[in-house]
Order: sequence, then C-alpha cells, then structure tokens
Amino acid sequence: MLELARYGARRRLLGMLALSVGLSAFSGLYAVFFPTLTGNLDLEEYVEALPPVFVEAFGLRAFNTIEGFLATELYQFAWVILLGLYLAYSAASLIAGDVESGRMDVLLSLPVSRARLVGEQFLSLVPGILLVNVVVAAATWIATRAIGYPIGTADLVVVHALSLPYLFACAAIGLAFSVVADRVSVAQRAAAGTVFALFLLESLLTSTDYAWVGAVAPMRYFDPTAILVDGTYDIAGAAILVAGTLALVAASQLYFRRKDVN
Amino acid sequence: MAVIEVDSLTKRYGDLTAVDDVSFDVEAGEVFGFLGPNGAGKTTAIRTLLGMQAPTTGGVSLLGRDTTVESERLDALADTGYLPSNPQFDEQATGREILDLHESIKGGSRRAELLELFDPPLDRELRAYSTGNVQKLGVVQAFMHDPDVVVMDEPTSGLDPLLQARFNDFLRAERDRGVTALFSSHVLSEVRRVCDRVAVIREGELVAVEDVQSLLDRSGKVVRARIDGDLPGDAFELAGVSDLSTESVDGATRVSLTYTGGMDALVDELDRHHLRELDVEEAPLEDVFLQFYGGEASA
Repeated sequence: MLELARYGARRRLLGMLALSVGLSAFSGLYAVFFPTLTGNLDLEEYVEALPPVFVEAFGLRAFNTIEGFLATELYQFAWVILLGLYLAYSAASLIAGDVESGRMDVLLSLPVSRARLVGEQFLSLVPGILLVNVVVAAATWIATRAIGYPIGTADLVVVHALSLPYLFACAAIGLAFSVVADRVSVAQRAAAGTVFALFLLESLLTSTDYAWVGAVAPMRYFDPTAILVDGTYDIAGAAILVAGTLALVAASQLYFRRKDVN
Repeated sequence: MAVIEVDSLTKRYGDLTAVDDVSFDVEAGEVFGFLGPNGAGKTTAIRTLLGMQAPTTGGVSLLGRDTTVESERLDALADTGYLPSNPQFDEQATGREILDLHESIKGGSRRAELLELFDPPLDRELRAYSTGNVQKLGVVQAFMHDPDVVVMDEPTSGLDPLLQARFNDFLRAERDRGVTALFSSHVLSEVRRVCDRVAVIREGELVAVEDVQSLLDRSGKVVRARIDGDLPGDAFELAGVSDLSTESVDGATRVSLTYTGGMDALVDELDRHHLRELDVEEAPLEDVFLQFYGGEASA
C-alpha cells in the first residue's frame, strides 16, 4: 500500500522544499519590517482608515502587535490565500495530468483500484504540506525571537496545526476538479478560481444578511487572527474542514471509479 | 476456457460507434493478432477489455474474470501485462524509478532478465528518452512481473528493425512458455511473423477471425517484374493470378500482379521469361481488405 503516494510525494519534495524556503523568507522579511513599521507608523490608525470589508477580509486586528501583524500579513495572506490557491491548483493536476498525458493508461493497468489511485494521489500532497508548515513555523519562531518580539510558541504551533485541515480542504477542491476534467489547464483554472471565489464570498458577505452563504467557504473555519491575537482555537471548525475534505476525496473516488478514461 | 473473451462488444461515444458488436476469444498459449488500419477501433477494444472504459453493451473478460467489475478486474490485472500504443511515463522520473514503482506494486521477478534483452538507459530521465527507448521500457514493465497474459497495442512501433526481430523472437519464446498474448497491429507482415490467429477489424466491425496461414494464403503476394521483350499471349495465365497489368517500356515489359497460388507454379512461369527485375512481397493490408472483404480500404 501507499506505493503511489510515496512515489508522488518524493517527486514533489523538491518543489515543496523550495516553497518552504520562499515562505520562510517571506516570514523573515515581515519580521525584519515589523520593528521599523511599529516605530514609524501608527498602525492602528492605518487600519482604522481602511474599508471595513478589507479589515474583515484580512482579519486586521491588533495590527501593532507581532501576533496581529503576522496573522494578517503571513497567515491570512500567504497561508489562507496564496498557499490555499497553490494547493488547489497543484492538486488539480493530480488525476487530470495523468489522463491528459496518457500516463493514466499504464497506471490503470496496475492491479490498483481506482479509489486507491485517487486516494494515494491525494495523500502524496500531505508530506509536502506538513513540510511547509514545519519549516515556516520554525523560521517564524526564530525570526520573531531574533527581532525581540517573540511570538507565543503554543499559538504558533496551533495556527499551523489548525491550518492543516484548511490546506487539505483546498487540495481536496483541486482533486475534485482533477477527476472531473480531462485537461489539466481546465482543472487548474477551475480549482484556483473556485478557491478564490470562496474567499471573496466569505469575506465580502460576512457583514451582510447573506453571511450564511459563506458557510461553504473553508476560510470560515480557519481564522489565524483569532488564534494568534485572541488565543481562541476553533476546533469545531477544524473538524468541519476534515469532514469536508474526506467528503470531497470520497466523492472524487466514487466519480473516478465510474469514469471512462479516454 | 479462453484467456481473453470479447463477447458482442460495442462501444459508442455519442453518435460515433468505435467498436460495433465485436466477438472473439483468445485461447491459452496463443499469440493472437488484432489487425486493422489505424482508427479501426483496436485501441478502443483493448482499453475496454482492460477496464479503462466501460462497454456500451457486451461483455469482456480476462483470465476468466469480468473486467467491468473492479474486484474481478484487479485479480486479472495482477497476472496481466499491458503495453499501450505510444506508452507514456512520468517525464521527470528516470527509467529506474518507473520500474521501481511498478515492481513495488506488481512485482518484478523477470526485470533483470528483460533488461538484458531490452536495455533502456535506466538512469536517464524519461524526457531525454528516444521513442525506441520509451518502447523498450514499456516492454520491460509489461513483462517484468511474469504475467500469464500480455496485451500489447502496436508493440513494435518505435523499435528499429533489429529490436523488432528481437522482440518477435522474445514473444515466440514467451508463447512457448505458455504466455498468452493479444497483439494489435496495422501491419500484416508484422502480425504474420508472430501470431497464430488474427482478428481483422475495420471501421469498428470484425471482418474475419482466421489462422494467419489462411489469411496469408488468401491475401497472396504482390509480384512485380521487368521482363525482356514482349510477353507471349499466354504469359501468367495460371491459377491464382489477379490484377494482372502489363506495360511496355524501352523494349521491356513491366508486369504487376497479385498471386495467391502455389509458389512452384509461379517460379516455373517466371522461368519462362528473361527477368531484369523481380519483386515478390506480401500484399499490403489495405489491398487484402479490398480483395477479400469488399468495399474501400481506409487506412
């Protein structure tokens, strides 16, 4: 078991390592900026001047603390938006890529069930997601200590731990498009577009009467600001994301099982 | 019990019928040719047999298992080798990594032995492989787990003539070991070298299932000769000659005919003339269709 997952994970390792280094540099850069920013600008005043919807979308609170600053700049932006989009985009090529290139023919001739194939392809993303989290968490821990504004270790661990179900959910959205579409470019655009649309849905509707619509967006269930600034952990939200992920993976498996691969 | 059974298989894509009510059985230890022009439905039939797509109607079974039922199909696939036409592998992986992956899933008891016969550059990435090398890797992965049955879609395309000959020898040796093979091709001369029986498919329909020998007997040879002077009136009036055409060029006569009779009679007839040139070759598949199955050949 898991031969295909291990193989896929190994092939992705280098890319995920590069992504980890890049995001760590991003985190380090923010850490370096932070003391200068708080010294020269009244960040609270800056935030008050921004449109409320923007403040809500990026969870701008306690922006003059390292926790509030990183929650917005690193976690809302780089994690929720960039990494979420990247994983949806990347997962969208999992099945569609093999189908489009013709590699799927050889894979389907192996004595491996369609459900296992889809499941293992999804699992092949997991080590990379864990790697990015561990590396960037460590980099952030070190960087905030280096500038003398240490971020709480427990909250840092939790923000990364609770981001995992969110990232898995984004990847599962990509996987779903990957089994439905036969062309990689279609699956990738649809997946990234969907994740971005869900982000907009959740952030733009949150202060309206239609806020309930945002319940379909994974972003509702992971709030880095709440974790880092308030120290409140949305465990139920994480459970919903896990359930959603499992449902999407299972649906993808069922769909692919019955699909004619051309 | 037949190793491969295709029973009234029909596969439609919308209005297009790719395979139309095709039936044939492949017996244990037989090398079975699946012959037809490109686009005749060979690949569709093979991919349906292996469960990559579901039949619209009809049944397919491999090693006695219904391949439309996943649990049965997986049982059969464990003892099946498959070489798709124009096989594709992960471009960024090396040949060794591909074979390692396959071995970890289906086994590779014959890997080393096969790599001596077909030797793709294992430490090179697939993107740097030539077509021939990809095909060699495909052959190795198809046979490495010592399958009971092997399904191959145009297996010798991309192999140079020397390797084609090696592959044909190898396939005959496999048959002698009891391996059953389904071998698709659009080239009659290729199929005749290794196959025992042949199914001929055209425009999705099965037109014949025959012994290779009787197919060859019926398809005959194309004879082209250049003969000194004019031909006597009774030249080439022998049983088995058709499509005779003659043309006088520069004091010689160009003759072209299709011949399905005995070789001795042909040699005796040729001996009556002074030959400047002689070519005897198998009739192209397209002509075989024209001659024996009627209608226009589509290649």
